Amino acid sequence: MANILIIDDDPDIVEAMKIVLESKDHRVSIAKNGEEGLKKAKLDKPDLIILDVMMETMGKGFEVAKELRKSQGHKDSPILMLTAIKESTGLDFKTEAGDKDWLPVDEYLEKPLKPQELILKVEALLEKR
Amino acid sequence: MRNIAPQEGLVERAYWLIRLRWIAVAGVVLTVLFVEKVVNVPLESFALYAIAVAIGLYNSAFFSYLNRIRKTNPPNPATIVNRVANVQISSDLLSLTALIHFSGGVENPFIFYFIFHVIIASILLTRRASYFQATFAVFLFISMVNLEYFNVLRHYSLKGFIDSSLYANSIYVSGISLVFISTLYLAVYMASSISVKLRQREKSLEEANLLLEEKDRIKSNYVLRVSHDIKEHLSTIQGCLDPVLQELTGELNSGQKDLIRRAVHRTGKLTFFVKALLEITRIKLSREIEMSRFSLRKTIDNTVNFVEAKAKDKDIAFNYNLDPGVDVIKGAQVYIEETIANLLANSVKYTPRGGKVDMEIRDRGDSVLIQVSDTGIGIPKVDIPNIFGEFYRAGNARALERDGTGLGLAIAKEVVERHNGKIWVESVEGKGSIFSILLPK
Repeated sequence: MANILIIDDDPDIVEAMKIVLESKDHRVSIAKNGEEGLKKAKLDKPDLIILDVMMETMGKGFEVAKELRKSQGHKDSPILMLTAIKESTGLDFKTEAGDKDWLPVDEYLEKPLKPQELILKVEALLEKR
Repeated sequence: MRNIAPQEGLVERAYWLIRLRWIAVAGVVLTVLFVEKVVNVPLESFALYAIAVAIGLYNSAFFSYLNRIRKTNPPNPATIVNRVANVQISSDLLSLTALIHFSGGVENPFIFYFIFHVIIASILLTRRASYFQATFAVFLFISMVNLEYFNVLRHYSLKGFIDSSLYANSIYVSGISLVFISTLYLAVYMASSISVKLRQREKSLEEANLLLEEKDRIKSNYVLRVSHDIKEHLSTIQGCLDPVLQELTGELNSGQKDLIRRAVHRTGKLTFFVKALLEITRIKLSREIEMSRFSLRKTIDNTVNFVEAKAKDKDIAFNYNLDPGVDVIKGAQVYIEETIANLLANSVKYTPRGGKVDMEIRDRGDSVLIQVSDTGIGIPKVDIPNIFGEFYRAGNARALERDGTGLGLAIAKEVVERHNGKIWVESVEGKGSIFSILLPK
């Protein structure tokens, strides 16, 4: 059981994720935008953050991820980023530090989400912590 | 009348003129030989051969100059090539006059060859320049005829062909000159009228083409936006349906389960379709796709892994053969992998149980040939010309598999052509198909 923060502006997919995660007895809190997400991350100290990259404007999720990493307190909370990036932007981003396109996230999950995949990735990240 | 200078085609036409000139050099030599040996008319062969050599020399010079222009790519190649074409035609007129002077002057029937030169000028040059060249031809001709008439220049007669001294006959000379001059100007008038019209048409076609491209781009942008929106909603629908189907929201009865499963299935199909549509639109809209050097060998391995299980499920024998020389090529790896995987998946999809699918990857020096062959249902002859078109599916494919976007091969074609490659198919209905991709390294 863990505290999970979902930062995503699509209330429908958030509800679906919440149901999936709660079925595994995780506690889920929700933020509808980047600012709220940063605030809640500070307050709730979640064990894991799920972040949508396409929130509000395209790529906004990137900035939020960088902010999250910069601020103290939840520097090491794993971030699972939801993307549809391959199809919608053609961006090919890498996860190694030092790369120009480096993004400080731990794992990616492509939309549409499969419940099993979500559970597996979440569990794997929580275990690594 | 506007002076429209021919643009892009000009360099090609300049090369064409050079090729013609090589033929002319050979023609001069052969004609001299023929007239002397067969017709038995003695000629000033030394002077004539010397002129032929001179033509050959300046032709080589023009050829290397043009090559250099093409390589260095100056800011305004059209003006330079235009100037070169003018010089070429003037040189040709001079050479022709010299040839004719040494072989009978006004008595030589080859004087009509001046017409060819002014026609070539009308095709290559602006209307004004063509008239200028015709006037230059008239000047050369009249000078030659008069200088010979007044014995300033020696007259070389064609013994055994024309034995009376026509060159000194004032009525003959003025008659020929009149016909000659009017013929040249009429030829320029007619040929340049036609070529000016053709250039105008060429230009308006080009403009229409640009307009169409712009319209197509606007349409593609529209498709991109719409399909992107649709896809977002679809993935949320799917994300909401999946937990229900997996009974995370409570147990379902069999009817509920059945209907949700159907809904999930159809949402998946629609998502797949929208993804394909997004993909082809995105490739079409991108001015350049990012290319890097990658291992085709590894990419092939990935596609093989992807298709092997599918083939096994249908009891299809899948084999592949990779030339040892094939490895690193330049391209967009993701797209190439997808394209090859796509062809393999198609072959497996349209090959009946127990059939065969083979892939051959051959080294072709500066390119790689990838061939996927199968013993499948093949493509009906009527469908082959359209098989790479967007949303097109062959009749027998539709009958066999109701589902299919009709975009797979269109994407493949777009990807391959973006790599300056070629894609084609050979197929016999009922026997099988061979899809081939030729990719530059």
